[in-house]
Amino acid sequence: MSSFKREKKEEEDGGGNPFQNIEKTTVLQEARTFNETPVNPRKCTHILTKILYLLNQGEQFGSTEATEAFFAMTKLFQSKDVILRRMVYLGIKELSSIADDVIIVTSSLTKDMTGKEDLYRAAAIRALCSITDSTMLQAIERYMKQAIVDRNSAVSSAALVSSLHMTKIAGDVVKRWVNEAQEAVNSDNIMVQYHALGVLYHIRKSDRLAVTKLVAKLTRMSLKSPYAVCMLIRITAKLLEEEGDSGNSNNHLFEFIDSCLRHKSEMVTYEAAHAIVNLKRTSSRELAPAISILQLFCSSPKPTLRFAAVRTLNQVAISHPAAVTACNIDLENLISDSNRSIATLAITTLLKTGGESSVERLMKQISMFVSEISDEFKVVVVQAIRALALKFPRKHSVLMNFLSAMLREEGGFDYKASIADTIITIIEDNPDAKETGLAHLCEFIEDCEHTSLAVRILHLLGKEGPRTKQPSRYIRFIYNRVLLEDPRFRAGAVSAMAQFGATCPDLLENIQVLLTRCQMDPDDEVRDRATYYSNILSRQDKSLYNNYIIEPMKISISALERSLQEYIQGDTEQAFDIKSIPVVSPLAAEEIQTIAQKTDGMLSSTGPASKPVQASREENYIKELSNVPELQQLGPLFKSSDVVELTESETEFVVRCIKHSYTKHLVLQFNCTNTLSDLLLENVRVQVDPSEGYNIVKEIPCPKLPYNETGTSYIILEFPSDLSQSVGTFGAVLKFIAKDCDPTTGIPDTDEGYGDEYILEDLEVTPSDQIQRVSKVNWSAAWDEATEANNYSMMNIVFSLSSVSTLEEAIKNVVQYLGLQAAEHSDKVPEGKTVHTLLLAGVFRGGADILAQAKLVLADTVTMELTVKATEESVAELIVFAIE
Amino acid sequence: MGSSLKKLAFFLGIKRKEVNVLVIGLNNSGKTTVINHFKNDEEKVEKTEIVPTVGFSVEKFQNQNLAFTAFDMSGHGRYRDLWEHYYKDCHGIIFVVDSSDRLRLVVVKDELDLLLQHPDVSKRRIPILFFSNKMDCKEALSSVKIAAALGLDKIMDKPWHISASNALSGEGLQEGVEWLTQQIREYITNKNLKKFYRFIEI
Repeated sequence: MSSFKREKKEEEDGGGNPFQNIEKTTVLQEARTFNETPVNPRKCTHILTKILYLLNQGEQFGSTEATEAFFAMTKLFQSKDVILRRMVYLGIKELSSIADDVIIVTSSLTKDMTGKEDLYRAAAIRALCSITDSTMLQAIERYMKQAIVDRNSAVSSAALVSSLHMTKIAGDVVKRWVNEAQEAVNSDNIMVQYHALGVLYHIRKSDRLAVTKLVAKLTRMSLKSPYAVCMLIRITAKLLEEEGDSGNSNNHLFEFIDSCLRHKSEMVTYEAAHAIVNLKRTSSRELAPAISILQLFCSSPKPTLRFAAVRTLNQVAISHPAAVTACNIDLENLISDSNRSIATLAITTLLKTGGESSVERLMKQISMFVSEISDEFKVVVVQAIRALALKFPRKHSVLMNFLSAMLREEGGFDYKASIADTIITIIEDNPDAKETGLAHLCEFIEDCEHTSLAVRILHLLGKEGPRTKQPSRYIRFIYNRVLLEDPRFRAGAVSAMAQFGATCPDLLENIQVLLTRCQMDPDDEVRDRATYYSNILSRQDKSLYNNYIIEPMKISISALERSLQEYIQGDTEQAFDIKSIPVVSPLAAEEIQTIAQKTDGMLSSTGPASKPVQASREENYIKELSNVPELQQLGPLFKSSDVVELTESETEFVVRCIKHSYTKHLVLQFNCTNTLSDLLLENVRVQVDPSEGYNIVKEIPCPKLPYNETGTSYIILEFPSDLSQSVGTFGAVLKFIAKDCDPTTGIPDTDEGYGDEYILEDLEVTPSDQIQRVSKVNWSAAWDEATEANNYSMMNIVFSLSSVSTLEEAIKNVVQYLGLQAAEHSDKVPEGKTVHTLLLAGVFRGGADILAQAKLVLADTVTMELTVKATEESVAELIVFAIE
Repeated sequence: MGSSLKKLAFFLGIKRKEVNVLVIGLNNSGKTTVINHFKNDEEKVEKTEIVPTVGFSVEKFQNQNLAFTAFDMSGHGRYRDLWEHYYKDCHGIIFVVDSSDRLRLVVVKDELDLLLQHPDVSKRRIPILFFSNKMDCKEALSSVKIAAALGLDKIMDKPWHISASNALSGEGLQEGVEWLTQQIREYITNKNLKKFYRFIEI
């Protein structure tokens, strides 16, 4: 293989590529030959090859030149040369997206796809589907249906795959071909069967009942095609995953996957094993046969099988450690596999499952070949080390040394970032490792080419450095950056130094000197920061330090940008009010991470999960709410709650509620879904029975709600002036005018409807709806400051939480109910402790700051002493009152 | 020497020659049916199977030693703009008119005028054959009346011919196409003779 590659390379070097020097304009000139009669097939084929070559090299064709070439190409239909015709099909497919009026070849292609020449038919179908849009699809529908059930397998496959592509532009039309696809599933040809199953699933995938039926039917008949069986396993696994633990009804589904473990095709057995180990519900007894299949593959002579098996084992090493440990001997053998990818995965799997004693040996083994593997696998190694460090905190020095060695080597950004991430995680998790970790990172930024990474590390140094035993030693590293690097480094370094100045009083003087030097910097941003920090630090005021240096800005940056833009455009005399910007909750960032980490469904046809950058929850709602004029006068949105289900799922109507808090108003947003196909709802609204003190300001009903659509209605309420009344339970009833209608068309039978109502579950308004989480880096400083300041009022209460039996549970409940953010990792309880202090912070609607300290003691039940400090007395009262 | 003889035979049109003709006209005038009539028995499509053409389709047929490649264009309003792409390299045009559709005769006239004014057509002495199709219909106009309505008498620089036809039965089609064959042969011979004279002068 390798010698073949070399030969090929040499050939290329020697100018072996006949298309090396072709130019677009020349080729397009040559394409005029297509217009000549009679057609010269050999010449034209060669020119077409050149056009295709150019297109595949990424050459851009303008729409005019593409159209001209396309129409010249259409004249080649008069030639009967098979090779030329097939090149024309390829040309049509490539140019169909660039040229205009490509529809011109429709009849010619239809003729070819229904004609006698089998060599033309499949390719003609593919070309035809590439030029057809949703309006034209009706015209060729009849031919497509015939082609799907054609006796020629190539034709049938081409039609099925094309149908799958067509679902993107005209899903409704393709849905009508379900009978033909059904027939094709029974085909003897393995590819046709596979493609037909793909189409069938795609048509039905939004309807779970239909998928269930499909699976039930296909698992009974034995499919001939191993590809189709693999696909069926994926569908079944997805179905099992979605339905969760709903009893024994799914047993036959699982039995099917289990039976596939004994299939004669390796592909199928692997797929089944992979599905079983990845299912959440799998019990250890069910797991055993699947693992033994993977174990068998580990010693297979085929590298692909070994790779697949060890990769799967690696993925599930954390969720099923015991089962994977059974394969340890096989994995040990794979450590020295000649394929480095397999070796890496084997070692990292062993690291995940192995005991503390084997860590050092395995690390040595990896370091032997870490330079030979690609970045992608190095990241896998780093992730394994991260898991290891969390598992065996005592081994941190070995791991840290290894990581720093890796950090010094060459590598891409993703690789370096994952190492830095791991070191940061270790530092945060393990106080013993902090000093060494920071030292390694300091060394790393001395010579780091990735600006964003270096800035992150500088930020971390600023956060953690001041609290180490000897803060001054980090300043040299940071100040070095100011001397050398580009402006972004320097700005980051300035901010980090300011943190030291604010936290360590004895270093303040030195920091001031450094900052003064930075004020001469050639870059605006660096100078601005230096001046800003130097000014604040010169005031010698603790609370200024806390609010403007140590704590990060707690408002949403993107919302701030938008509001400032609006402010500049408007001609208002008023000063800009920073309180109008929504406070961003630190939770939002964590949520995004968990979403990104979720593995996507097993069906690879859906493609890799996209990871869009998400705006905070509030910002998404602001966009939605800005469409309702009545809500504009309420001021800025303060907080939006999680979605609350007011109905059980799978009822006639589904109603979900979101509570939006404004400074003085509460807006309830009801998202209603109509699941009855024979009913059209009008004037849909939710009537609430608010608790005492609330005033209903306005109701905004949803005018119309057809089947399978979601409409929104709003209620605007005024918060009670007495804060203690703002917590309560609201009764809710869905009211609407129902009209019977034709299920297929959705047109109502009569103009007159009848009023009806539907009782919903009660809606609770809690303090957390009115409180936005705030992340405090230095909570104790803020607490001390609040004790000294006289604008804080304090409330204290002791009571026992009888319903919970562990500290973790108690913390979770308190945090959730109050909607406050735990600071300084105080929501994590060290193992075995019975006394814990939880530190909380937040801001109330209207802007009152809240700090809370909860001392928890675990006896038989949990007893809690809650101390609340807030800038408004009534807020402190409310929190204490609410927790009772 | 042998190749010169071949060329000579070719120039004089003795050898069987391939020609391109363009078949145009409004939608539902019967273009595809007309072409279908000329095809070999084995390639013929059942008359009930003929559906509106989308874009164009290429058909081949023979007439008196001349191999025709017909570009059967779609007559639908949406696609008429695309006809012009095929004007350049055709040797003759067959223009099919639905003689029973009096209402759209003005549309036919518009399209014809556009064709005659097109730079790829106006400068060439290209023969045009008109089929006044659907002559069996009760309200069909006679070919004379069609010719008058379309103002064919004003076409001075091109040979043209109109024949009443019924594409379903094939009546009138053969006569028209024989005229076209004759014209194309002359057209090519004339063109080639000029070249030939130049050839022997050298």
